[in-house]
Amino acid sequence: MERPTKKLRELLKKPELLKAPGVVDAIGARLVASAGFDAIYMTGAGTAASRLGWPDVGLLTMSEMVDNAQRIAEASGLPLIADADTGYGGPLNVRRTIQCYERAGVAAVHIEDQQWPKRCGHLEGKTLISAEQMATNIRAACDARVDADFMIIARTDAIAVEGFDRALERAKMYEEAGADMVFVEAPRTMEQLKAIPEALSVPSLFNMAASGKTPFLTASEIQNLGFKLVIYPNFVLLSAIPVMQRVLLELRAGGSIKDLASQATSFTDFFDLLGMDEVKALEARYSVDDKSRVGY
Amino acid sequence: MNRATVLRKKLSAPGMLIAPGAYDGITAKLIEQAGFPLVYMTGAGTSASLGYPDYGLVTMTEMVANAELITRAVNIPLISDADTGYGNELNVTRTVREFESRGVAGIHIEDQVSPKRCGHLDNKEIEALEKYLSKIRAAVAARTNPDFLIIARTDCRASLGFDEAIRRGNASLEAGADMIFIEAPQTMEEVRAIPKQIKGPCLLNVVQGGKTPVVHLEDAEDMGYKIAILPGLLLRAAVQAFDQALDSVKTYHVAPDYLNNTSPQQNFKRFGADEWDAIRSKYALEDKG
Repeated sequence: MERPTKKLRELLKKPELLKAPGVVDAIGARLVASAGFDAIYMTGAGTAASRLGWPDVGLLTMSEMVDNAQRIAEASGLPLIADADTGYGGPLNVRRTIQCYERAGVAAVHIEDQQWPKRCGHLEGKTLISAEQMATNIRAACDARVDADFMIIARTDAIAVEGFDRALERAKMYEEAGADMVFVEAPRTMEQLKAIPEALSVPSLFNMAASGKTPFLTASEIQNLGFKLVIYPNFVLLSAIPVMQRVLLELRAGGSIKDLASQATSFTDFFDLLGMDEVKALEARYSVDDKSRVGY
Repeated sequence: MNRATVLRKKLSAPGMLIAPGAYDGITAKLIEQAGFPLVYMTGAGTSASLGYPDYGLVTMTEMVANAELITRAVNIPLISDADTGYGNELNVTRTVREFESRGVAGIHIEDQVSPKRCGHLDNKEIEALEKYLSKIRAAVAARTNPDFLIIARTDCRASLGFDEAIRRGNASLEAGADMIFIEAPQTMEEVRAIPKQIKGPCLLNVVQGGKTPVVHLEDAEDMGYKIAILPGLLLRAAVQAFDQALDSVKTYHVAPDYLNNTSPQQNFKRFGADEWDAIRSKYALEDKG
Protein backbone atom coordinates (compact mmCIF):
# COMPACT_ATOMS: atom_id res chain seq x y z
CA MET A 1 0.00 0.00 0.00
CA GLU A 2 1.17 3.49 -0.80
CA ARG A 3 2.22 5.50 2.23
CA PRO A 4 -0.57 7.97 3.12
CA THR A 5 2.06 10.68 3.62
CA LYS A 6 3.32 10.29 0.04
CA LYS A 7 -0.25 10.09 -1.25
CA LEU A 8 -1.12 13.39 0.44
CA ARG A 9 1.97 15.09 -1.01
CA GLU A 10 0.93 13.89 -4.49
CA LEU A 11 -2.66 15.07 -4.07
CA LEU A 12 -1.41 18.51 -3.07
CA LYS A 13 0.70 18.73 -6.23
CA LYS A 14 -2.43 18.58 -8.38
CA PRO A 15 -3.78 21.92 -9.59
CA GLU A 16 -7.21 21.47 -8.03
CA LEU A 17 -8.11 22.21 -4.41
CA LEU A 18 -7.97 19.19 -2.09
CA LYS A 19 -11.10 18.79 0.04
CA ALA A 20 -10.99 17.06 3.43
CA PRO A 21 -14.23 16.72 5.40
CA GLY A 22 -13.78 16.43 9.15
CA VAL A 23 -14.94 13.42 11.14
CA VAL A 24 -14.83 12.30 14.75
CA ASP A 25 -14.93 8.51 14.49
CA ALA A 26 -14.65 5.43 12.31
CA ILE A 27 -18.23 5.66 11.01
CA GLY A 28 -17.54 9.15 9.74
CA ALA A 29 -14.31 7.84 8.23
CA ARG A 30 -16.24 5.18 6.29
CA LEU A 31 -18.78 7.79 5.10
CA VAL A 32 -16.10 10.15 3.77
CA ALA A 33 -14.32 7.31 1.97
CA SER A 34 -17.52 5.98 0.43
CA ALA A 35 -18.52 9.49 -0.72
CA GLY A 36 -15.37 9.48 -2.85
CA PHE A 37 -13.17 12.07 -1.14
CA ASP A 38 -9.41 11.75 -1.56
CA ALA A 39 -8.47 13.00 1.92
CA ILE A 40 -10.00 13.23 5.38
CA TYR A 41 -9.62 15.50 8.42
CA MET A 42 -9.89 14.75 12.15
CA THR A 43 -11.42 17.62 14.10
CA GLY A 44 -10.27 18.22 17.67
CA ALA A 45 -13.50 20.02 18.58
CA GLY A 46 -15.51 17.09 17.26
CA THR A 47 -13.26 14.55 18.97
CA ALA A 48 -13.75 16.34 22.31
CA ALA A 49 -17.49 16.35 21.67
CA SER A 50 -17.56 12.69 20.69
CA ARG A 51 -15.30 11.31 23.42
CA LEU A 52 -16.15 13.56 26.36
CA GLY A 53 -19.34 15.32 25.43
CA TRP A 54 -17.58 18.58 26.29
CA PRO A 55 -16.74 21.72 24.27
CA ASP A 56 -13.30 22.17 22.70
CA VAL A 57 -11.47 23.86 25.58
CA GLY A 58 -8.31 21.75 25.79
CA LEU A 59 -9.56 18.84 27.87
CA LEU A 60 -8.46 15.97 25.67
CA THR A 61 -4.98 14.51 26.05
CA MET A 62 -2.54 13.75 23.25
CA SER A 63 -3.10 10.04 23.93
CA GLU A 64 -6.83 10.36 23.28
CA MET A 65 -6.32 12.38 20.11
CA VAL A 66 -3.78 9.91 18.70
CA ASP A 67 -6.01 6.97 19.56
CA ASN A 68 -8.90 8.58 17.68
CA ALA A 69 -6.68 9.50 14.72
CA GLN A 70 -5.44 5.94 14.41
CA ARG A 71 -9.00 4.63 14.20
CA ILE A 72 -9.97 7.21 11.56
CA ALA A 73 -6.85 6.63 9.45
CA GLU A 74 -7.46 2.90 9.53
CA ALA A 75 -11.21 2.96 8.83
CA SER A 76 -11.00 5.51 6.02
CA GLY A 77 -7.90 4.25 4.23
CA LEU A 78 -7.41 7.90 3.20
CA PRO A 79 -4.57 10.31 3.93
CA LEU A 80 -5.57 11.86 7.24
CA ILE A 81 -4.86 15.44 8.25
CA ALA A 82 -5.26 15.53 12.04
CA ASP A 83 -5.69 18.29 14.56
CA ALA A 84 -2.82 18.12 17.09
CA ASP A 85 -3.81 21.24 19.06
CA THR A 86 -0.72 22.95 20.52
CA GLY A 87 1.48 19.88 20.26
CA TYR A 88 0.74 19.54 24.01
CA GLY A 89 3.64 21.45 25.54
CA GLY A 90 7.15 22.60 24.70
CA PRO A 91 9.48 21.23 22.02
CA LEU A 92 10.01 17.98 23.92
CA ASN A 93 6.29 17.32 24.08
CA VAL A 94 5.92 18.32 20.44
CA ARG A 95 8.58 15.80 19.53
CA ARG A 96 6.70 12.99 21.25
CA THR A 97 3.39 14.18 19.77
CA ILE A 98 4.74 14.00 16.22
CA GLN A 99 6.23 10.56 16.84
CA CYS A 100 2.90 9.26 18.16
CA TYR A 101 0.78 10.72 15.34
CA GLU A 102 3.19 9.48 12.69
CA ARG A 103 3.16 5.96 14.11
CA ALA A 104 -0.65 6.09 14.15
CA GLY A 105 -0.65 6.31 10.35
CA VAL A 106 -1.55 10.00 10.10
CA ALA A 107 -0.33 11.90 6.98
CA ALA A 108 -0.26 15.45 8.37
CA VAL A 109 -0.93 17.34 11.60
CA HIS A 110 -1.50 20.95 12.42
CA ILE A 111 -0.06 22.49 15.56
CA GLU A 112 -0.95 25.97 16.75
CA ASP A 113 0.49 28.86 18.74
CA GLN A 114 -2.10 28.94 21.54
CA GLN A 115 -1.27 28.56 25.23
CA TRP A 116 -2.35 25.30 26.82
CA PRO A 117 -5.16 24.66 27.62
CA LYS A 118 -6.20 25.81 24.15
CA ARG A 119 -9.70 26.40 22.86
CA CYS A 120 -11.50 26.20 19.54
CA GLY A 121 -10.00 28.78 17.16
CA HIS A 122 -13.42 30.35 16.61
CA LEU A 123 -14.08 30.91 20.34
CA GLU A 124 -13.10 34.10 22.19
CA GLY A 125 -10.50 34.46 24.95
CA LYS A 126 -7.52 32.80 23.28
CA THR A 127 -3.97 33.45 24.58
CA LEU A 128 -0.80 32.83 22.58
CA ILE A 129 2.72 31.61 23.15
CA SER A 130 5.43 33.82 21.65
CA ALA A 131 6.19 33.53 17.95
CA GLU A 132 9.73 32.43 18.85
CA GLN A 133 8.48 29.62 21.09
CA MET A 134 6.14 28.50 18.32
CA ALA A 135 8.93 28.58 15.72
CA THR A 136 10.96 26.35 18.06
CA ASN A 137 8.01 23.96 18.31
CA ILE A 138 7.78 23.86 14.51
CA ARG A 139 11.48 23.04 14.24
CA ALA A 140 11.08 20.32 16.86
CA ALA A 141 8.12 18.92 14.92
CA CYS A 142 10.04 18.82 11.65
CA ASP A 143 13.01 17.15 13.34
CA ALA A 144 10.80 14.54 14.98
CA ARG A 145 9.28 12.99 11.86
CA VAL A 146 10.83 9.83 10.51
CA ASP A 147 9.04 9.93 7.14
CA ALA A 148 10.08 13.14 5.36
CA ASP A 149 6.67 13.20 3.61
CA PHE A 150 4.83 13.55 6.93
CA MET A 151 3.48 17.10 6.77
CA ILE A 152 3.76 19.68 9.52
CA ILE A 153 1.07 22.36 9.20
CA ALA A 154 1.68 25.45 11.32
CA ARG A 155 -1.48 27.13 12.54
CA THR A 156 -1.61 30.61 13.96
CA ASP A 157 -4.49 31.79 16.11
CA ALA A 158 -3.11 35.33 16.21
CA ILE A 159 -5.78 37.23 14.22
CA ALA A 160 -8.16 37.41 17.19
CA VAL A 161 -5.37 38.26 19.65
CA GLU A 162 -2.78 40.40 17.84
CA GLY A 163 -4.50 41.38 14.60
CA PHE A 164 -4.19 40.26 11.01
CA ASP A 165 -0.81 41.83 10.17
CA ARG A 166 0.89 40.20 13.13
CA ALA A 167 -0.80 36.87 12.27
CA LEU A 168 0.71 37.06 8.80
CA GLU A 169 4.14 37.84 10.29
CA ARG A 170 3.82 34.81 12.52
CA ALA A 171 2.79 32.68 9.56
CA LYS A 172 5.92 33.73 7.68
CA MET A 173 8.11 32.94 10.71
CA TYR A 174 6.60 29.47 10.94
CA GLU A 175 7.17 28.92 7.24
CA GLU A 176 10.82 29.85 7.75
CA ALA A 177 11.02 27.46 10.70
CA GLY A 178 10.20 24.63 8.29
CA ALA A 179 6.41 24.25 8.19
CA ASP A 180 5.18 22.49 5.04
CA MET A 181 1.88 24.35 5.04
CA VAL A 182 0.38 27.27 6.93
CA PHE A 183 -3.06 27.56 8.48
CA VAL A 184 -4.09 31.09 9.48
CA GLU A 185 -7.09 30.50 11.74
CA ALA A 186 -10.35 32.46 11.51
CA PRO A 187 -9.75 35.15 8.86
CA ARG A 188 -12.77 37.44 8.68
CA THR A 189 -12.75 39.23 5.32
CA MET A 190 -12.12 38.50 1.64
CA GLU A 191 -9.16 40.91 1.77
CA GLN A 192 -7.57 38.84 4.53
CA LEU A 193 -8.32 35.60 2.70
CA LYS A 194 -6.71 36.91 -0.46
CA ALA A 195 -3.63 38.14 1.38
CA ILE A 196 -2.79 34.81 3.06
CA PRO A 197 -1.77 32.62 0.08
CA GLU A 198 -0.16 35.66 -1.58
CA ALA A 199 2.12 36.29 1.37
CA LEU A 200 3.37 32.72 1.71
CA SER A 201 5.48 30.48 -0.44
CA VAL A 202 4.30 27.21 1.11
CA PRO A 203 0.69 26.08 0.46
CA SER A 204 -2.13 27.46 2.61
CA LEU A 205 -4.96 25.66 4.34
CA PHE A 206 -8.49 27.07 4.36
CA ASN A 207 -10.64 26.26 7.37
CA MET A 208 -14.27 26.34 6.23
CA ALA A 209 -15.58 26.57 9.78
CA ALA A 210 -19.27 26.72 10.56
CA SER A 211 -18.91 29.58 13.08
CA GLY A 212 -19.57 32.27 10.48
CA LYS A 213 -16.44 34.26 11.33
CA THR A 214 -14.85 33.22 8.04
CA PRO A 215 -17.06 33.94 4.99
CA PHE A 216 -18.84 30.89 3.58
CA LEU A 217 -17.26 30.16 0.19
CA THR A 218 -17.58 27.49 -2.49
CA ALA A 219 -14.70 25.19 -3.32
CA SER A 220 -13.96 27.05 -6.55
CA GLU A 221 -13.93 30.41 -4.74
CA ILE A 222 -11.49 28.95 -2.20
CA GLN A 223 -9.33 27.55 -4.99
CA ASN A 224 -9.33 30.86 -6.86
CA LEU A 225 -8.01 32.60 -3.74
CA GLY A 226 -4.97 30.33 -3.98
CA PHE A 227 -5.57 27.82 -1.18
CA LYS A 228 -4.42 24.22 -1.73
CA LEU A 229 -6.41 22.40 0.96
CA VAL A 230 -9.82 23.02 2.52
CA ILE A 231 -11.06 21.34 5.69
CA TYR A 232 -14.72 21.22 6.76
CA PRO A 233 -14.08 20.31 10.41
CA ASN A 234 -17.49 19.81 11.98
CA PHE A 235 -19.99 20.37 9.23
CA VAL A 236 -20.98 16.72 8.74
CA LEU A 237 -21.50 16.28 12.47
CA LEU A 238 -23.46 19.54 12.80
CA SER A 239 -25.69 18.49 9.90
CA ALA A 240 -26.49 15.16 11.56
CA ILE A 241 -27.48 16.67 14.91
CA PRO A 242 -30.94 18.06 13.91
CA VAL A 243 -31.83 14.72 12.31
CA MET A 244 -30.88 12.82 15.48
CA GLN A 245 -32.78 15.34 17.62
CA ARG A 246 -35.91 15.00 15.50
CA VAL A 247 -35.80 11.19 15.70
CA LEU A 248 -35.27 11.31 19.47
CA LEU A 249 -38.27 13.60 19.90
CA GLU A 250 -40.46 11.27 17.87
CA LEU A 251 -39.29 8.24 19.88
CA ARG A 252 -39.94 10.08 23.13
CA ALA A 253 -43.45 10.84 21.93
CA GLY A 254 -43.91 7.09 21.57
CA GLY A 255 -43.90 6.79 17.80
CA SER A 256 -42.99 3.58 16.01
CA ILE A 257 -39.70 3.34 14.16
CA LYS A 258 -41.84 2.05 11.28
CA ASP A 259 -42.77 5.64 10.49
CA LEU A 260 -39.15 6.76 10.66
CA ALA A 261 -37.46 3.81 9.00
CA SER A 262 -37.97 5.02 5.46
CA GLN A 263 -35.81 8.07 6.19
CA ALA A 264 -33.10 6.15 8.02
CA THR A 265 -30.22 4.16 6.57
CA SER A 266 -31.36 0.56 6.23
CA PHE A 267 -29.87 -2.15 8.40
CA THR A 268 -28.17 -3.76 5.39
CA ASP A 269 -26.87 -0.47 3.96
CA PHE A 270 -25.37 0.23 7.38
CA PHE A 271 -23.35 -2.98 7.42
CA ASP A 272 -22.45 -2.56 3.77
CA LEU A 273 -21.06 0.89 4.60
CA LEU A 274 -18.90 -0.70 7.30
CA GLY A 275 -17.30 -3.14 4.89
CA MET A 276 -19.51 -6.22 4.72
CA ASP A 277 -17.98 -6.95 1.31
CA GLU A 278 -14.56 -7.20 2.89
CA VAL A 279 -15.86 -9.60 5.52
CA LYS A 280 -17.44 -11.80 2.83
CA ALA A 281 -14.29 -11.78 0.74
CA LEU A 282 -12.23 -12.86 3.76
CA GLU A 283 -14.65 -15.68 4.56
CA ALA A 284 -14.38 -16.91 0.97
CA ARG A 285 -10.61 -16.66 1.06
CA TYR A 286 -10.34 -18.73 4.26
CA SER A 287 -13.00 -21.20 3.06
CA VAL A 288 -15.39 -20.63 5.93
CA ASP A 289 -18.09 -23.23 5.42
CA ASP A 290 -21.34 -22.00 3.86
CA LYS A 291 -23.50 -22.52 6.95
CA SER A 292 -21.34 -20.25 9.13
CA ARG A 293 -20.90 -17.46 6.64
CA VAL A 294 -22.30 -14.09 7.60
CA GLY A 295 -25.36 -12.93 5.69
CA TYR A 296 -28.46 -10.81 5.83
CA MET B 1 -15.28 -0.05 51.57
CA ASN B 2 -14.12 2.59 49.12
CA ARG B 3 -10.34 2.80 49.30
CA ALA B 4 -10.38 6.58 49.74
CA THR B 5 -12.41 5.97 52.90
CA VAL B 6 -10.00 3.20 53.97
CA LEU B 7 -7.13 5.65 53.61
CA ARG B 8 -8.93 8.30 55.68
CA LYS B 9 -9.45 5.76 58.47
CA LYS B 10 -5.77 4.82 58.41
CA LEU B 11 -4.81 8.49 58.49
CA SER B 12 -7.07 9.21 61.45
CA ALA B 13 -5.06 6.76 63.57
CA PRO B 14 -1.88 8.09 65.19
CA GLY B 15 1.42 7.57 63.39
CA MET B 16 2.76 7.83 59.85
CA LEU B 17 1.96 5.69 56.79
CA ILE B 18 4.89 4.59 54.65
CA ALA B 19 4.15 4.31 50.92
CA PRO B 20 6.85 2.95 48.62
CA GLY B 21 6.46 3.93 45.00
CA ALA B 22 5.05 1.54 42.39
CA TYR B 23 5.08 1.96 38.64
CA ASP B 24 3.45 -1.29 37.51
CA GLY B 25 1.61 -4.40 38.69
CA ILE B 26 4.79 -6.15 39.86
CA THR B 27 6.00 -3.36 42.11
CA ALA B 28 2.46 -2.76 43.42
CA LYS B 29 2.00 -6.43 44.41
CA LEU B 30 5.41 -6.61 46.08
CA ILE B 31 4.65 -3.49 48.14
CA GLU B 32 1.37 -4.97 49.33
CA GLN B 33 2.95 -8.36 50.09
CA ALA B 34 5.68 -6.67 52.13
CA GLY B 35 2.88 -5.40 54.37
CA PHE B 36 2.83 -1.69 53.58
CA PRO B 37 -0.52 0.00 54.27
CA LEU B 38 -0.39 2.29 51.26
CA VAL B 39 1.08 2.34 47.75
CA TYR B 40 2.23 5.43 45.89
CA MET B 41 2.29 5.74 42.10
CA THR B 42 5.41 7.56 40.99
CA GLY B 43 5.23 9.78 37.91
CA ALA B 44 8.98 9.47 37.41
CA GLY B 45 8.70 5.66 37.55
CA THR B 46 5.66 5.66 35.25
CA SER B 47 7.59 7.81 32.75
CA ALA B 48 10.59 5.49 33.03
CA SER B 49 8.46 2.39 32.50
CA LEU B 50 7.21 3.99 29.28
CA GLY B 51 10.80 4.74 28.29
CA TYR B 52 10.86 8.47 29.09
CA PRO B 53 12.61 10.68 31.65
CA ASP B 54 10.37 12.60 34.07
CA TYR B 55 10.20 15.68 31.84
CA GLY B 56 6.43 16.09 31.60
CA LEU B 57 6.13 13.93 28.47
CA VAL B 58 3.56 11.49 29.81
CA THR B 59 -0.11 12.36 29.33
CA MET B 60 -2.87 12.32 31.93
CA THR B 61 -4.41 9.39 30.04
CA GLU B 62 -1.23 7.35 30.49
CA MET B 63 -0.95 8.26 34.18
CA VAL B 64 -4.58 7.31 34.83
CA ALA B 65 -4.22 4.03 32.92
CA ASN B 66 -1.20 3.11 35.03
CA ALA B 67 -2.97 4.11 38.25
CA GLU B 68 -5.92 1.92 37.31
CA LEU B 69 -3.62 -1.02 36.63
CA ILE B 70 -2.00 -0.58 40.05
CA THR B 71 -5.29 -0.28 41.96
CA ARG B 72 -6.46 -3.47 40.25
CA ALA B 73 -3.29 -5.33 41.29
CA VAL B 74 -3.64 -4.61 45.03
CA ASN B 75 -6.21 -4.16 47.77
CA ILE B 76 -4.46 -1.39 49.69
CA PRO B 77 -5.20 2.29 48.88
CA LEU B 78 -3.20 4.10 46.21
CA ILE B 79 -2.17 7.74 46.19
CA SER B 80 -0.90 8.95 42.87
CA ASP B 81 1.22 11.65 41.37
CA ALA B 82 -1.02 13.83 39.18
CA ASP B 83 1.69 16.32 38.16
CA THR B 84 0.22 19.80 37.58
CA GLY B 85 -3.32 18.52 37.07
CA TYR B 86 -2.54 18.96 33.34
CA GLY B 87 -3.79 22.49 32.73
CA ASN B 88 -6.23 24.94 34.28
CA GLU B 89 -9.22 24.44 36.59
CA LEU B 90 -11.18 22.61 33.87
CA ASN B 91 -8.35 20.17 33.21
CA VAL B 92 -7.93 19.66 36.97
CA THR B 93 -11.65 18.89 37.23
CA ARG B 94 -11.31 16.20 34.59
CA THR B 95 -8.08 14.88 36.14
CA VAL B 96 -9.70 14.40 39.57
CA ARG B 97 -12.72 12.68 38.01
CA GLU B 98 -10.52 10.34 35.98
CA PHE B 99 -8.30 9.30 38.91
CA GLU B 100 -11.21 9.00 41.34
CA SER B 101 -13.30 6.89 38.98
CA ARG B 102 -10.40 4.41 38.66
CA GLY B 103 -10.44 3.70 42.40
CA VAL B 104 -7.46 5.87 43.34
CA ALA B 105 -7.64 7.12 46.97
CA GLY B 106 -5.90 10.45 46.47
CA ILE B 107 -3.61 12.51 44.25
CA HIS B 108 -1.08 15.29 44.58
CA ILE B 109 -1.20 18.37 42.34
CA GLU B 110 1.73 20.77 42.14
CA ASP B 111 2.29 24.44 41.36
CA GLN B 112 4.78 24.01 38.51
CA VAL B 113 4.09 25.51 35.10
CA SER B 114 3.33 22.74 32.60
CA PRO B 115 5.25 20.89 31.14
CA LYS B 116 6.62 20.11 34.59
CA ARG B 117 9.78 18.33 35.60
CA CYS B 118 10.89 16.11 38.49
CA GLY B 119 10.81 18.08 41.76
CA HIS B 120 14.49 17.40 42.42
CA LEU B 121 15.69 18.81 39.09
CA ASP B 122 16.74 22.46 38.59
CA ASN B 123 15.02 25.35 36.76
CA LYS B 124 11.46 24.60 37.71
CA GLU B 125 8.94 27.32 36.74
CA ILE B 126 6.33 28.15 39.35
CA GLU B 127 2.71 29.20 38.85
CA ALA B 128 1.26 32.31 40.53
CA LEU B 129 -0.23 31.42 43.93
CA GLU B 130 -3.76 32.66 43.15
CA LYS B 131 -3.88 30.57 39.99
CA TYR B 132 -2.67 27.53 41.89
CA LEU B 133 -5.18 27.97 44.73
CA SER B 134 -7.96 28.21 42.20
CA LYS B 135 -6.89 24.82 40.83
CA ILE B 136 -6.88 23.33 44.36
CA ARG B 137 -10.41 24.65 44.87
CA ALA B 138 -11.40 23.09 41.53
CA ALA B 139 -9.87 19.75 42.57
CA VAL B 140 -11.76 19.76 45.88
CA ALA B 141 -15.03 20.60 44.13
CA ALA B 142 -14.52 17.89 41.49
CA ARG B 143 -14.32 14.84 43.78
CA THR B 144 -17.52 12.90 44.33
CA ASN B 145 -16.33 11.13 47.51
CA PRO B 146 -15.27 13.71 50.11
CA ASP B 147 -12.73 11.14 51.38
CA PHE B 148 -10.74 11.34 48.11
CA LEU B 149 -7.50 12.94 49.29
CA ILE B 150 -6.33 16.15 47.62
CA ILE B 151 -2.66 16.70 48.40
CA ALA B 152 -1.29 20.15 47.48
CA ARG B 153 2.35 20.05 46.45
CA THR B 154 4.49 23.14 46.14
CA ASP B 155 7.72 23.11 44.17
CA CYS B 156 8.61 26.70 45.03
CA ARG B 157 11.33 26.02 47.65
CA ALA B 158 14.15 26.24 45.09
CA SER B 159 13.12 29.49 43.38
CA LEU B 160 11.03 31.38 45.96
CA GLY B 161 12.45 30.12 49.27
CA PHE B 162 11.28 28.12 52.27
CA ASP B 163 9.02 30.79 53.81
CA GLU B 164 7.06 31.09 50.58
CA ALA B 165 6.72 27.29 50.48
CA ILE B 166 5.17 27.34 53.97
CA ARG B 167 2.91 30.25 53.01
CA ARG B 168 1.74 28.36 49.91
CA GLY B 169 1.16 25.21 51.96
CA ASN B 170 -1.03 26.97 54.51
CA ALA B 171 -2.90 28.87 51.78
CA SER B 172 -3.60 25.54 50.05
CA LEU B 173 -5.08 24.15 53.27
CA GLU B 174 -7.39 27.15 53.42
CA ALA B 175 -8.37 26.47 49.79
CA GLY B 176 -9.49 23.01 50.85
CA ALA B 177 -6.45 20.75 50.38
CA ASP B 178 -6.37 17.80 52.79
CA MET B 179 -2.61 17.42 53.05
CA ILE B 180 0.51 19.41 52.17
CA PHE B 181 3.57 18.20 50.31
CA ILE B 182 6.47 20.67 50.39
CA GLU B 183 8.76 19.36 47.68
CA ALA B 184 12.53 19.26 48.13
CA PRO B 185 13.26 21.00 51.46
CA GLN B 186 17.02 21.52 51.59
CA THR B 187 18.10 21.07 55.22
CA MET B 188 17.14 18.90 58.19
CA GLU B 189 15.92 22.08 59.92
CA GLU B 190 13.48 22.67 57.08
CA VAL B 191 12.30 19.05 57.13
CA ARG B 192 11.65 19.41 60.86
CA ALA B 193 9.98 22.81 60.53
CA ILE B 194 7.41 21.76 57.92
CA PRO B 195 5.00 19.78 60.16
CA LYS B 196 5.36 22.47 62.86
CA GLN B 197 4.59 25.41 60.59
CA ILE B 198 1.98 23.81 58.35
CA LYS B 199 -1.44 23.91 60.00
CA GLY B 200 -2.51 20.48 58.74
CA PRO B 201 -1.24 16.99 57.79
CA CYS B 202 2.05 16.79 55.88
CA LEU B 203 3.60 14.39 53.40
CA LEU B 204 7.36 13.76 53.25
CA ASN B 205 9.01 12.82 49.97
CA VAL B 206 12.02 10.60 50.56
CA VAL B 207 14.26 10.82 47.51
CA GLN B 208 17.62 9.09 47.48
CA GLY B 209 20.34 11.40 46.18
CA GLY B 210 17.91 14.34 45.86
CA LYS B 211 17.97 17.82 47.39
CA THR B 212 16.53 16.75 50.75
CA PRO B 213 18.83 15.19 53.39
CA VAL B 214 18.10 11.53 54.16
CA VAL B 215 15.60 11.25 56.99
CA HIS B 216 15.11 8.11 59.03
CA LEU B 217 11.44 7.18 58.80
CA GLU B 218 11.05 6.85 62.58
CA ASP B 219 12.37 10.39 62.92
CA ALA B 220 9.95 11.58 60.22
CA GLU B 221 7.09 10.07 62.20
CA ASP B 222 8.32 11.79 65.38
CA MET B 223 8.46 15.09 63.49
CA GLY B 224 4.73 14.70 62.83
CA TYR B 225 4.51 13.65 59.17
CA LYS B 226 1.40 11.60 58.30
CA ILE B 227 2.64 10.00 55.08
CA ALA B 228 6.15 9.28 53.79
CA ILE B 229 6.47 8.32 50.14
CA LEU B 230 9.55 6.60 48.71
CA PRO B 231 8.92 7.08 44.98
CA GLY B 232 12.21 5.80 43.58
CA LEU B 233 12.91 2.97 46.04
CA LEU B 234 11.91 0.05 43.83
CA LEU B 235 12.82 1.56 40.48
CA ARG B 236 16.38 2.15 41.66
CA ALA B 237 16.61 -1.25 43.30
CA ALA B 238 15.27 -2.84 40.11
CA VAL B 239 17.69 -1.00 37.86
CA GLN B 240 20.63 -2.26 39.92
CA ALA B 241 19.32 -5.81 40.01
CA PHE B 242 18.56 -5.74 36.28
CA ASP B 243 22.02 -4.41 35.43
CA GLN B 244 23.61 -7.11 37.58
CA ALA B 245 21.62 -9.91 35.96
CA LEU B 246 22.25 -8.59 32.44
CA ASP B 247 25.91 -8.17 33.18
CA SER B 248 26.17 -11.74 34.38
CA VAL B 249 24.66 -13.08 31.14
CA LYS B 250 26.86 -10.85 29.03
CA THR B 251 30.06 -11.68 30.88
CA TYR B 252 29.60 -15.33 31.87
CA HIS B 253 26.96 -16.39 29.29
CA VAL B 254 24.85 -17.83 32.08
CA ALA B 255 22.12 -16.43 34.31
CA PRO B 256 23.36 -15.61 37.82
CA ASP B 257 23.20 -18.56 40.18
CA TYR B 258 21.05 -16.82 42.79
CA LEU B 259 18.14 -16.82 40.34
CA ASN B 260 18.01 -20.62 40.41
CA ASN B 261 16.68 -20.62 43.96
CA THR B 262 13.06 -20.10 42.90
CA SER B 263 10.99 -22.12 40.46
CA PRO B 264 8.72 -20.41 37.91
CA GLN B 265 5.72 -21.65 39.94
CA GLN B 266 7.08 -20.02 43.10
CA ASN B 267 7.39 -16.79 41.16
CA PHE B 268 3.80 -17.01 39.94
CA LYS B 269 2.69 -17.25 43.57
CA ARG B 270 3.90 -13.71 44.04
CA PHE B 271 1.51 -12.59 41.32
CA GLY B 272 -1.72 -14.26 42.28
CA ALA B 273 -1.26 -17.93 41.29
CA ASP B 274 -3.14 -19.11 44.42
CA GLU B 275 -6.15 -16.97 43.65
CA TRP B 276 -6.31 -18.17 40.05
CA ASP B 277 -5.69 -21.79 41.07
CA ALA B 278 -8.69 -21.54 43.37
CA ILE B 279 -10.82 -20.40 40.42
CA ARG B 280 -9.44 -23.26 38.39
CA SER B 281 -10.47 -25.74 41.10
CA LYS B 282 -13.89 -24.20 41.47
CA TYR B 283 -14.66 -24.91 37.81
CA ALA B 284 -12.89 -28.28 38.01
CA LEU B 285 -10.50 -27.39 35.22
CA GLU B 286 -7.65 -29.73 34.57
CA ASP B 287 -4.38 -28.51 36.11
CA LYS B 288 -1.81 -28.40 33.37
CA GLY B 289 0.29 -25.80 35.16
